[in-house]
Amino acid sequence: MARGNKEILAKLEQIVGQEYVSNEEANLIPYSWDLTWAEPRMPDYVVMPKTVTEIQRILRLANHQKIPVIPYVNATNIGGLCVPEEGGIIMDLKRMDQIIKIDPETCYAVIEPGVSHAQLSAALKATNPQWEGVEFSKGFEFGWGVHPASASVLAMAINHGIGHLNGRLGINSQLLSSMEVVLPTAEVVKIGSCAYSDSWHSFLPLPRMDGLFTGWMGTTGIVTKLGLWIFPIRPYRDVLTIAAASAKDITKYMVHWRHYSLCDEVTAVSWWLAQIPITFPYKDKPKDAPEFFSYTVISGWTEEELEYKRKMWKKVVQEEKARGTQLIDFEYPEEAKRGRTELPSRIVGSTKNYSKSCGGGLAWPGTFAPCKSWPILYEKWKEIYIRHGLSPATRFTDYQGAHYGMLRCMTPFDKRKPESVKAARDAMVECVRAGIPLGMLPYKPPVEYMNELNAAADAGYVYLMTKIKDMLDPNNIMNPGKLGVR
Amino acid sequence: MALELKNTSLKELAKLYDYISMCTHCGNCKYGYEWGKTANFAAMLCVQGDKYHFDSYRGSRGKSAIAKGLLSNKLQWSDAVSHVLFTCTGCGACQQMCETDIKPYILRMFEALRYEAWKQNVAIPEGIKKWSSTIGVNHNPYLEKHENRLDWLPSSIRSSLPKKAEYIYFAGCTASYRQKNVALATVKLLQKLKVDFTVSEDEWCCASPLLRTGQYDLAKEFVEHNKSLPDKYGASGFITTCAGCYRTLSRDYKMDPPEGYTDKFGKMEGVKVIHTIQLIEEMLNKGEIEFTGSFNNTVTYHDPCHLGRHAEVYEAPRNVLKAIPGVNLVEMYRNRKFSYCCGAGGGVRGGFADYSLETSAKRVREAESTGASVLTSTCPFCWRNLTDAIEMTKSPLKMVDIVEILEPIVKRK
Repeated sequence: MARGNKEILAKLEQIVGQEYVSNEEANLIPYSWDLTWAEPRMPDYVVMPKTVTEIQRILRLANHQKIPVIPYVNATNIGGLCVPEEGGIIMDLKRMDQIIKIDPETCYAVIEPGVSHAQLSAALKATNPQWEGVEFSKGFEFGWGVHPASASVLAMAINHGIGHLNGRLGINSQLLSSMEVVLPTAEVVKIGSCAYSDSWHSFLPLPRMDGLFTGWMGTTGIVTKLGLWIFPIRPYRDVLTIAAASAKDITKYMVHWRHYSLCDEVTAVSWWLAQIPITFPYKDKPKDAPEFFSYTVISGWTEEELEYKRKMWKKVVQEEKARGTQLIDFEYPEEAKRGRTELPSRIVGSTKNYSKSCGGGLAWPGTFAPCKSWPILYEKWKEIYIRHGLSPATRFTDYQGAHYGMLRCMTPFDKRKPESVKAARDAMVECVRAGIPLGMLPYKPPVEYMNELNAAADAGYVYLMTKIKDMLDPNNIMNPGKLGVR
Repeated sequence: MALELKNTSLKELAKLYDYISMCTHCGNCKYGYEWGKTANFAAMLCVQGDKYHFDSYRGSRGKSAIAKGLLSNKLQWSDAVSHVLFTCTGCGACQQMCETDIKPYILRMFEALRYEAWKQNVAIPEGIKKWSSTIGVNHNPYLEKHENRLDWLPSSIRSSLPKKAEYIYFAGCTASYRQKNVALATVKLLQKLKVDFTVSEDEWCCASPLLRTGQYDLAKEFVEHNKSLPDKYGASGFITTCAGCYRTLSRDYKMDPPEGYTDKFGKMEGVKVIHTIQLIEEMLNKGEIEFTGSFNNTVTYHDPCHLGRHAEVYEAPRNVLKAIPGVNLVEMYRNRKFSYCCGAGGGVRGGFADYSLETSAKRVREAESTGASVLTSTCPFCWRNLTDAIEMTKSPLKMVDIVEILEPIVKRK
């Protein structure tokens, strides 16, 4: 069965060639849903451009015909971001999969949207930091998050995805250096140092126009090239673990430990998230089990450096214990340790840890929140989740110091049952509603979360967001419906 | 959004509904990847996705989306659905990468989808329909007469074979009718090594092409026939040189679902199934083989999907190759569990000849990049497809089966 209309199909075929366009439902259905509870919505076409020029021509056509365009690579965002709210053209960017440059001296890479984590990590590992031919160490890395190896680095980074270096360096969108964008109206623009030369090393000291395309969920343009900072792999790594009796206790420990800026990452997971897979439906935690488990990854250039960090960590733990923080010693399982020190990992990045056997659904209230709110929100979320029969599989992760961190709750649910889907959606929307007044902001938000955000937002903020969207995308063709304002 | 089971008329597929539902749509299946202290691997492994690009074709996620769509009535059957289903070679790379509970059922899901497709008014590839219409009579998918099945076997050897033996050499259709060189080298090798074997006068297709293309009903008679052969020859096992036969006899005849089809055909019990390469490795380990010559070549080994990912036999062929004097074994980037299919399997060679050959040409180019002069494997079906690609691309590579390397240069100690 075919969708759309033949004339538009023919025009798309003229642009990219027949084999890279389809309007057959058989080819469209995988693009109609994702892991989440987003209602399936069929696109009318899928098109796979290879070049910027092809993207421009598709966007001109889409503007002329007022057809929505949804940028897409792998749709593993866990936010329904690529589900076409109003049908239209899925622009699958997988064919644009070139690593254009890795500069081992200035330490940045330039990639296209189709470059996967697997591809970039393999290339970076094979490139050594150097200066004028003198190599300093082996391999580079970027912030590898929790996602499949096939996921797009670019899409993850411009949508504020997390990485394993976020304790040391911040989230991945803080590590971007330049970009090339095709605007919704088809003009190509360069932002950052690449606008002036072939060096893609920095946005600064220019106006931060990259902000028009990061966190906008593909509603303001298509980023076709991205410069990102890369970092030498430190040869020594270790994982240190501690558990706690409560969210309050684990937060006290995390805030104290990250004060010294000595770790690559510090994360805590509730008992329910520590289960593999997450218990579904909800079941009680054993009374004697800790409420939270935490790991922190430390790295160094020498064993001595690592040992110093271990020593400092022990000092923090001892001091916290001495002041009554209920911390409990525990050892990380070997496989989990490997997963944390040998990233990116297809095991850590897969969904087996979350929804192995429960019916295929996976979503989250994934948010950035001030650390002060973590324990308060955890208790609220826990009550909401248990009331909906779901496990409060919560995670706290520090982002680069004292400012903010991730608060999210991985939520498996059973897609076979409408009541299970509804319970998951209702619980998560309620969590978001509860969190916004406490400073919590969802990232990669589904439409339902955007509606909550917009309802609570400063009127001027929504006005400006709408104005920018209207200015850049006058026909509202770019991923319409996702911002909740157009 | 729920994907409820609404179309229960798709009986074989509906049986797998709970497992299909375990696919989270994460996309781990779409790309081969390994990273760690000793590994650094990233490559596209899905030959179908490599060719047809869209997510429907890429890994198991697309096919599970189609299965879910059909079962929940969100998708109707069409020729486009059929094209997605029948252009998959069933290589198992997506299953290798998957980490969720659908994993063991992925290949079974593909075959169940094809089973259902035969019952719909959709385009089944003509090439597959053609051999399927005669296989019941000919007992092979090559449209050849059954009575000619043993033509590959010289009468001198045929007359020397015992009526009863420990093993039946199960040559399979490809070696019997096409790659007779492989079948002949195998019997000569087995005789030199004094293996107690015979060749059946009445071997039928193992049913691999039928099972892989979802033709369960037709397959039944074949499985039952071949299962009766060991008793007839007093044999306790089958030896195969075909990876497809090996997978079918050792898995489909003997294992419960999802690995095998004992749910449909009963279990072949008490019969050992061994690939020639495993037998050789076993004999080498026991010190029963002496090399009388050498094979002075740089060789690269192609893992057949049916022996590799389907049956996890990766090291035996390599151990044998390493034992051969003169062999310099070099690996392709995509090897073992991360191997790249030759493009012939799953009915694709018969159904989509050009795409199949295009795929094998990619593999040949990868083999060339190793610097090897010889490309070897352990499957006559791979042999055929890779040889065709070597000829088409005018590659300097020479294709030989490992048994062809071994046969002239070994004897029993």
